[in-house]
Amino acid sequence: MFRFLAVGLALLATTAAFGQSSGIPPEEMNNTRRLAGDAINVCFDVTSLARPFDEEIAKAIGDALFLQVNVIEGFGGFPLNGDGFIDELTLAMNNTCDMFMGVSISANSPLSDAFSLTRPYATMPFVIAVAEPDWQSLGDIPKDRKLGTAMASLGEMNYITWAQQQAKPDRWIRFPYADFDKMATRVLDGTIAGMILWQPALARLQKEHPGADKLRIVANDPIPVADINVGALVSSRNTFLRSQVDQAIDALVQDGTIAALMEKYGYEGHAGE
Amino acid sequence: MKIDLMKSLLVATTALLALSGPVHAQDAKPAYAPVTDEMLANPPAQDWLMYRGAYNNQGYSALDLINKDTVGKLQLAWAWPMAEAGIQETAPLVHDGIMFLQTNNNIVEALNAKTGDLIWQYRHVLPEIPASWSYQANQARRQKNSIALYQDKVILTTADAKIVVLSAVDGKVVWEKQVLDYNLGYSYTVGPIIADGKIITAISGCSIAGTAGGCYIFAHDVNTGDELWRFNTIDDPNNPKQEASWGDVPAENRWGGTPWTTGSYDPATKTTFWGIGMPGPYSELIRGSGDGSVLYTNSTLAIDIETGKLKWYYQHLPRDNWDLDSPYERILVDQDVDGKTQHLLVTAAGKNGIVFALDRDTGKYLWHKDTVVQNVVKSIDPDGTVNINTDLISKAVGEEHLVCASVSGGKLWMTGSYSPLTQAYYVPLTEACNTVAPTQTEFTAGNAVGAVKFGPRVLPEGITDAGLLDAVSINPTQGDHIWQARSRPSMTSSVLATAGGLVFGGDAARDIKAWDQKTGDIVWTQRLNAPVGGYPSTYEIDGEQYLVVPTGYSNAASSISSAFPEIPLPTGSGNSIFVFKLPKATN
Repeated sequence: MFRFLAVGLALLATTAAFGQSSGIPPEEMNNTRRLAGDAINVCFDVTSLARPFDEEIAKAIGDALFLQVNVIEGFGGFPLNGDGFIDELTLAMNNTCDMFMGVSISANSPLSDAFSLTRPYATMPFVIAVAEPDWQSLGDIPKDRKLGTAMASLGEMNYITWAQQQAKPDRWIRFPYADFDKMATRVLDGTIAGMILWQPALARLQKEHPGADKLRIVANDPIPVADINVGALVSSRNTFLRSQVDQAIDALVQDGTIAALMEKYGYEGHAGE
Repeated sequence: MKIDLMKSLLVATTALLALSGPVHAQDAKPAYAPVTDEMLANPPAQDWLMYRGAYNNQGYSALDLINKDTVGKLQLAWAWPMAEAGIQETAPLVHDGIMFLQTNNNIVEALNAKTGDLIWQYRHVLPEIPASWSYQANQARRQKNSIALYQDKVILTTADAKIVVLSAVDGKVVWEKQVLDYNLGYSYTVGPIIADGKIITAISGCSIAGTAGGCYIFAHDVNTGDELWRFNTIDDPNNPKQEASWGDVPAENRWGGTPWTTGSYDPATKTTFWGIGMPGPYSELIRGSGDGSVLYTNSTLAIDIETGKLKWYYQHLPRDNWDLDSPYERILVDQDVDGKTQHLLVTAAGKNGIVFALDRDTGKYLWHKDTVVQNVVKSIDPDGTVNINTDLISKAVGEEHLVCASVSGGKLWMTGSYSPLTQAYYVPLTEACNTVAPTQTEFTAGNAVGAVKFGPRVLPEGITDAGLLDAVSINPTQGDHIWQARSRPSMTSSVLATAGGLVFGGDAARDIKAWDQKTGDIVWTQRLNAPVGGYPSTYEIDGEQYLVVPTGYSNAASSISSAFPEIPLPTGSGNSIFVFKLPKATN
C-alpha cells in the first residue's frame, strides 16, 4: 500500500491543478493482485480515435498468447489540460487494467515509472486535410487563411515548432480544436482552410461526418511529417506480461496481421515501429 | 476502474435511497426556523449561515467565548465521520441548532449541532456517468465546498450540473433543476449563494472539449428554478476589449474562465463579486491567443444581480501561461476613514498569492502586497495594470521555466479570513515553485489530455518552511505584513477569524491551531487524525460556543509533502469533523 501511495503521490506531483485541487484518496486504491488465470483485462479509452482497431489488436495479442481478453471500456473525457487524468489512469491501472490499448508512445507520454509501454504495434501519421480541390500541399494555402489543429496533439506541436521559426507573414494563424467534428465542419464551411489531425481521426470523419467526403489529404510540405507510435500500457509490476505482449506484437507485425487490420480500417502508416 | 466504481456507486446509491429522509428522528425538531432574507443580510452571531459566514465572505465570527484566555481549555464535544472519502473541502453550515454538512458525491447530512446525532441524510443519485466522462467522477470525489440555506430549504449544486433544493426539515427533494448538460462536461464544484431571491451559481468543467466557448455564472429564481440570467466569463459580446483580448481565437475555440470559488455579495449595491480562473489551454503557444490578456480569465467580476450585466472587471493576472488561476475568495470590507466609509474588496486572488485591494464600487485598483515567493508579476502600475514577467513565457514547445508560485499554489482554494478587530486579512499559503513547459502530451494516440508539463513542486531557494499564514493589514491606501507565521508543513485548511481575537486553521501535520490575531503567536494546538481541511467554523447553542474542524484527505498536503518528509501523511483519508467547546465552568 505504501508503495502504491508513493506512486500515486509522485504522479500527482506532475499533474495540473485547477483552482480546487484534486487527487486520489488512498481508500480508492485496491491493494490486491488480480488472479486472472488465462484472462487479461484490457482497457480502452472510449474516446480513443482508433478504438475498434485497438480492440482487434488486443484480441490478436490475446490469441497469440492463448489468453482470453476481457474488454473493459476505460475512461475518457478529461479536460484539455489533463486535470484528473493521471488520477483516473492510476486508479484504472492499479485496480482493473492489465493492459491499456491505444497509447501514444513518445518522449512526452504523460506517464511515470508506475507504467511501462509496450513495443509499438502501429505507426500512423498526422495529415493535413482540406476541402479546396486546387491545393496539393499545405504550402498552397494562402497565408491569410487560417488552420485548425487537433488540440495539444503531436501534429499541432509539429506545426507550432515550425511556425515559431517563420516570420509572422510566412505562417498561418491557427486555432486549436478539441472536437474533430467541429473542426471538419469549419473546414467545410470555409472558416478554416485546412486542419491538421491524426489520420485515423480523419478516416473516421470521412466515414461518419456529413460532407466529409469532400475532405482530402494534401502533402505536408513545408512542415515535416509527424508520426505517432501506438502501443499499450502495462503496469511496471508486471514485466512478464510486458515481455509477452512485446513478443506477440513482433509476431503480429511479422505475419501481416496488423498491416491487414490497418488496411481494413483505412489507416495510413505501417505496422510496428 | 471507473466503470466498476460507477456501477457500485449506483448500486450503493440505490440501496441507500431508503435512508434518505429522516433516518433518526430522535433529535429532529418539529419546527425549523426559516432562514430569512434579513438573516442572510445580517447573520445571527450564533449561526454559521453560509459558506464564509456572511455575504462579505470574511470568514469572521462575532462569537468570543472562545478567546485567548479560554482556548486552551477546549474539549472535544463530538466528532463525526464523513459519509464518503474524498478531498476534504467541506464548509459546515449551522442554523437553528442543526448542522448541515455536505460530503463529496453530493451527500448532505443534517446533524444535531449540540450532540452530533444524525437527523437526516440525502444522497444525490448521480447518473451513470458514461465511461467517456471520467472527469465528472473525478470531480464527484471532491468534497464540495459549500451549500446554501434559505427559508426552510437547503440548496446544493451537484456534480451532474444540477441545482437541488431539499427540505431542511427532512432532507427530501423539493425540486431540482438540470442547469447544463453534464454530457458536455459541465459540473458544479462550488456551491451557491442566495441573494435577492436568486440562486447565484457558477459552473465548472469549462476546460473539457465539449464546453468550448462557454463558462457561466447563473442566476435562478430561488422558488421556481427558472433561469434569470447567465454571464459568460470567456465570451462577452458587449465588450469589444474582451473579444480582442483573445486575439484571433473565436469563442468556440476558447476554454477556461472557471469561477472556482463561491462569490460574495453586496446588498447595498446589489452586486455579486466572483473570481475567475485560468484560460485554457494554459500556454498561449497552444491556445493561439498571442500576447492577448485573455479576458475575463484571472479577473474579479462585479455583476449586477438584477440584470446579470457586468459592472466592472479587474484582471489580476493577464496572459496567464502557467495555470496560476485567480478565482479565490473575494472579501468585502467596509472601513470608516476620515468620516467616510470606504468600500473595499480584498483578495489573495490567485495562486501567486498577491493580495489586492480594490474599490468595490468602481473596480479601481488601490494597492497590492506580495506574500509568497513569486516571479510571474514584475510590477503593477499605479493604475492597476499588471506587468507580467514575459521571460517566463515559453516561445517554443518544450521550453521550460521555473515558475513561482507552483501550480498547486501559493494560494489555493483554502480561504483566508478578515478580522474587523485587527483590520487584517489572514491568508493561508504554501511556498512552492515548479517548472512549466508547453508540450504535447497525448495519452491515447491523437487525443490530447494536456498541453503543459509541470515539474515537481519544490520550495523556493533559501526557504525551508512550506507553510505560511500571512497577516496583511487592510486599509484603503496600502497593506503591509503585520506578521507572518511560517511552518514546515503546508497549510491545508481555510482559516477562521473570531471576535475572541483568534485565527483558527490547520496544516498537513494534522494540527489545528489558534493564532493570536495581533501577534501571530500560537496559543492552542490540537493534533487530530488527518490533515486539517475544509472550512473551520463556529457557532453557539445554549450559551456555549462550538468550534468545527474538518479533517481528511488533502491534496494541498500531498502535492508538497516532499518538502517536509519528517512529517508522514496518513494513508487513510479519515474524513471527519471534530467539534470542540469549552467546559461548562469556563463559559
